[in-house]
Amino acid sequence: MSPRPHIEHIRKPQILAAAAEVITERGLAATRIADIAERAGTSASGVLYWFATKDELLAEALTVDEERFNEYVTERLVTLRSPSAKLLMLFEACVDDYDWSLWIEVWSRALHDDKTRAARQRFDDRWREMIARVIRTGQSSGEFARTHNPDQVALTLATLIDGLALQVTLRDPLITSGQMLETCIVTAERLLEVDLRAEAAASEEQVAETA
Amino acid sequence: MSKLAPAAQDARDRILEAACELIAEDGIDEVRIARVAMRAGASTALVHHYFSTREELLEQALLHSFELAGDERFGEEPAEELTATRRLARMIEECLPASGTRERDWVLWVELWLRAVRDPSLRPVAAQLYDRYRTWLASGIRAGVDAGEFQPCDPDAVADHAMALLDGFGIRAMLGDPSMGSDRARSTIARLLGAELGVDANELEW
Repeated sequence: MSPRPHIEHIRKPQILAAAAEVITERGLAATRIADIAERAGTSASGVLYWFATKDELLAEALTVDEERFNEYVTERLVTLRSPSAKLLMLFEACVDDYDWSLWIEVWSRALHDDKTRAARQRFDDRWREMIARVIRTGQSSGEFARTHNPDQVALTLATLIDGLALQVTLRDPLITSGQMLETCIVTAERLLEVDLRAEAAASEEQVAETA
Repeated sequence: MSKLAPAAQDARDRILEAACELIAEDGIDEVRIARVAMRAGASTALVHHYFSTREELLEQALLHSFELAGDERFGEEPAEELTATRRLARMIEECLPASGTRERDWVLWVELWLRAVRDPSLRPVAAQLYDRYRTWLASGIRAGVDAGEFQPCDPDAVADHAMALLDGFGIRAMLGDPSMGSDRARSTIARLLGAELGVDANELEW
């Protein structure tokens, strides 16, 4: 069997990106392999070469989207100095830059499909660890109160974000993304006994002054 | 698997029960009139007699399920008089995903919720049920404010926060997330709501 590493390198990511787009637009149930093939500029058999089932495809399409979000927030995290600014940025990224329709689709499938369920768990673990790390740093420096375990705070915030995203997605315009952001901030401030915006502004001012 | 087995279930109820079971087992997308009929021990003609479309059947099945859950919830009155705080604690407890009779409710709720995001035909029933649920929670919060047990707040907003947490925890529980169990859900919600309402978290844990 001839090896085809270069084809895999070119084709699979394109197909996954196309799949993520189509699924977001139509939902998984209404997405046909043919739709993905057309978007990716290949044939149905070109798609089916890589994925035995649509669920497998969804699990991997989610991977692409998650990696993109992860890279985006990681890059932005390092540009910010204070844990407060970092936490605010994570909340804003969730509200503004995150594809909730795709993620909610994943929850739906995960109820009935083990692969999707496992993928969701992996990404959730990583996301919660990212939040927990920021909290730990804040607690060490004294910016955040040490009352609560960082992993538990991260879990609470991640859970709240999930529930709020569902509300925004389903009850728009009654519940807005602005309200979602506010609720995240107020909850974090309560748990960490900090004024996030004041701390973030103060630290970014310091950075500007020393520049 | 059915939580109620009343002495005389008429055909319509049997059909609704069957639909609920199938939604819980396979997900809303997979529900077909023919399968519901078979599960209910009825003909497809009879199902069509009661429900003109699949969407109507799904809507009525979910309403049926939540009505029953509501009856169960209020069926047992406690022997002692409860404060508004303890009443709210019990309401929260009723909303937590747990194994047993409430688990199927949770699966249906999450199924509906998640599907309605994608399928506009399911949104009216999802919105209706959500509002009913929220009004119920908000009434418990308002009662506490009126009784002077809770500090002044917007009961609807507090109910929204509670529901966001409950939905978030519910999804995790349904997905078998090891990080989340009912105990943690209960104590976290109690802590956060306690802070919003100005009461001790312990008082809000049933």
